[in-house]
Amino acid sequence: MGRAVAIMGTGQTHHGKRFDVSYPELVREAVQRAFEDSGLSPEDVDAVVTGTMPSMMEGIALNHLYLADAIQVVGKPLLKTETCGSTGMSVAHTAFYWVAAGLADVVLAVGFEKMYEGDSQATMTTVADPWIQRSFVAGAPGIFAMQSNMWIDRHHIPAERLREAAAVISLRNHDDAFDNPYAHIKARISLEEIKDSRIVTYPIRRWDVCPNSDGACAVLFMSEHKAKQMANPPAWIKGVGYRGDESYLGDSDKVRWNTAIDAAKEAYHQAGIVNPRRELDVAEVYNPFTFMELLLYECFGFCDFGEACDLALQGTFSRGGDLPCDPSGGVLCTNPIGATGLIRVAEAAMQVTGKAGAHQVDGAQLALAHAMGGVSQFNGIMIVGSQQ
Amino acid sequence: MSGRVGIVAAAESSPAITQDNMMDAVYKVTKELLNKVGIDRDDVGTIVTAASDVFHSGISCANSYYWEASGGFLKNASRQDGDSLFAFLYGCLRVLSGHFETAMVIALTKGSENPENDTVTSLYADPFYHRPLGINETTAAALQMRQYMERYGITAEQCALVTVKNLRNALFNPYAHIRKSVTVDEVLNSKATADPLTTLQCAPKSDGMVAVLLAAEDTAKALTDHPVWFRGYGSAMDTYTLGDRDLLRGTLPQAAQAAYTMARLEKPSEEVDVAEISEPYGFQELLWCEQLGLCAEGKGGRLIDSGTTHLDGRLPVNPSGGVLATNPYVARGLYRVAEAYWQITGKAGEHQVKKSVHTALAHSTHGFAGQSHTVVILGD
Repeated sequence: MGRAVAIMGTGQTHHGKRFDVSYPELVREAVQRAFEDSGLSPEDVDAVVTGTMPSMMEGIALNHLYLADAIQVVGKPLLKTETCGSTGMSVAHTAFYWVAAGLADVVLAVGFEKMYEGDSQATMTTVADPWIQRSFVAGAPGIFAMQSNMWIDRHHIPAERLREAAAVISLRNHDDAFDNPYAHIKARISLEEIKDSRIVTYPIRRWDVCPNSDGACAVLFMSEHKAKQMANPPAWIKGVGYRGDESYLGDSDKVRWNTAIDAAKEAYHQAGIVNPRRELDVAEVYNPFTFMELLLYECFGFCDFGEACDLALQGTFSRGGDLPCDPSGGVLCTNPIGATGLIRVAEAAMQVTGKAGAHQVDGAQLALAHAMGGVSQFNGIMIVGSQQ
Repeated sequence: MSGRVGIVAAAESSPAITQDNMMDAVYKVTKELLNKVGIDRDDVGTIVTAASDVFHSGISCANSYYWEASGGFLKNASRQDGDSLFAFLYGCLRVLSGHFETAMVIALTKGSENPENDTVTSLYADPFYHRPLGINETTAAALQMRQYMERYGITAEQCALVTVKNLRNALFNPYAHIRKSVTVDEVLNSKATADPLTTLQCAPKSDGMVAVLLAAEDTAKALTDHPVWFRGYGSAMDTYTLGDRDLLRGTLPQAAQAAYTMARLEKPSEEVDVAEISEPYGFQELLWCEQLGLCAEGKGGRLIDSGTTHLDGRLPVNPSGGVLATNPYVARGLYRVAEAYWQITGKAGEHQVKKSVHTALAHSTHGFAGQSHTVVILGD
């Protein structure tokens, strides 16, 4: 099915409040690092894929035009893939299909966002239609709070157990971020501080929420033929899955969340994965909210429905556990939205090529990357492995 | 490339300004396409839509809103922003990758719910250098037009003739938005927008929904007796800052050459039977014809004077009426593909060109003075 495709280099900015650089400079920082990591140069690139969240975020529309020089795409073909929060993952998918189709050998995928230029929650609210949903969605926390409550209610999760499990997830991500030089939030916090932090939108508390970040990520995708001529180790794309459903939040079940379940199944099928918890070595789950990370474990088959809190408390998803999740500190500590899904792909590729440094999961060979988006509608998966 | 990908069918919305809401408009064109082929939503492998966050009725993350109306419920689908030829290419890539047998490509813009196009295009301008100058697509095009006239001696009348020709063609296209007969004088004497451009030389703001079904070779042959094959594409971005570019030497020649090479066209001016070219500003059709190699450099004025590009000419350009007649901003690229498809299959109705058509060219552009160009070659 198509040609084999490998990731041969990744680059990330130091994410955070980047008032020290302009938007083009921020993007160039990530692109440059991807070239340095891969040993390639801009002349080697056949095509480019970019994506961001909507332009209200930075005040520039169709910013592939503005950033063309920073991305080094002048004179080359470009696709601008956008699927809301899952944009970064969809950008990676586009690059994958481009190479798999045989119309390019080297594709540069770039995702970026400079969120401190604008008002992210105002932007996010405009994702909802202006007639019915916009007046009450209250940005991303509003939507995900409703979904989290649906999940808590369905599984009858006791409030104390829930708070404990979410706090463990939060603490693990914030601790792990210290091992990731690119992570934005580096905060030493205690379990008690997390549990006692103020409510944002029930059940979401201050430390259950991701930050706004400025940041960019670049990933180089390459055909098998070219990848095998390179000295550095490839991360092979083993499986790709994506699903979406309707925009009206109340119309579908967000606990047995079909788009997450089916996207994962599509990717597992391609990768030949039967038991994800046993076969995957690490997962980068898109976790802007602690509760979403727990809910997604169940949809991805990392555990049974209703089991996520118990297993999280047992350390199943911590480093040293059965399936370490988000050793990078995840979205909870770094969220430049248009880049975020692509960062998950980059981190997964870094893990299976042994390049993750202090947050390396020892011996990782098979990794899952995930992103979600829309009004809690979209889920995208990419599975990468060290073996073809 | 593991085989060929072909267009099985196409559907366009009509009329150009619709009273339907976005959901209904998207649903109708999607359903019309499926009905034409006689298949169900379940038979579609993947969907790629084209819509923009800034040309989308005030709703961001465009495809999250119309996802189910486009048949995407629980499907692997994606979206391109800015240009619907991007979505066409992405649909082709998904089929050529071998992961999907069929792909539906849908482009949509409901201009009637948007602000003026240039209110939006002025947001392409960076806020530090370009935006304070009032740069938008129209003012950038005016700079380009002035240079074009001065460097090559192209006349205002020759530029105006593009509007006369394309609006005349639009009279024969039931899907066109602006349908009226105009003279060169009327074009030149219409209200000035940005000198030397006048209102009738600038594209309108239209509603437009268009959908095409793509399929891998064997499936395409099973679904239709007249598949139209994707034979070549080329695309190229130019540098951003207007002052850093020679506005008359952009990246279109490069995009065109890539498309011709892939389609194995050696003499495009002779081998292309009909061309659908995005000309949001009249003179651009002449300039793009030159850069596509359909005539020599600086000879765009002579090309239109000769009648070559008329509906009954040797190389008809924009028999549909082009973007000057119908401009659903993001969707306009895929309209070019649909129109090229109909010309090749002989289904264009009253605006079917007289000659037989085997090879057609579809082109789209967006950004200031043609910063981004994409060229697609289709053939039977």
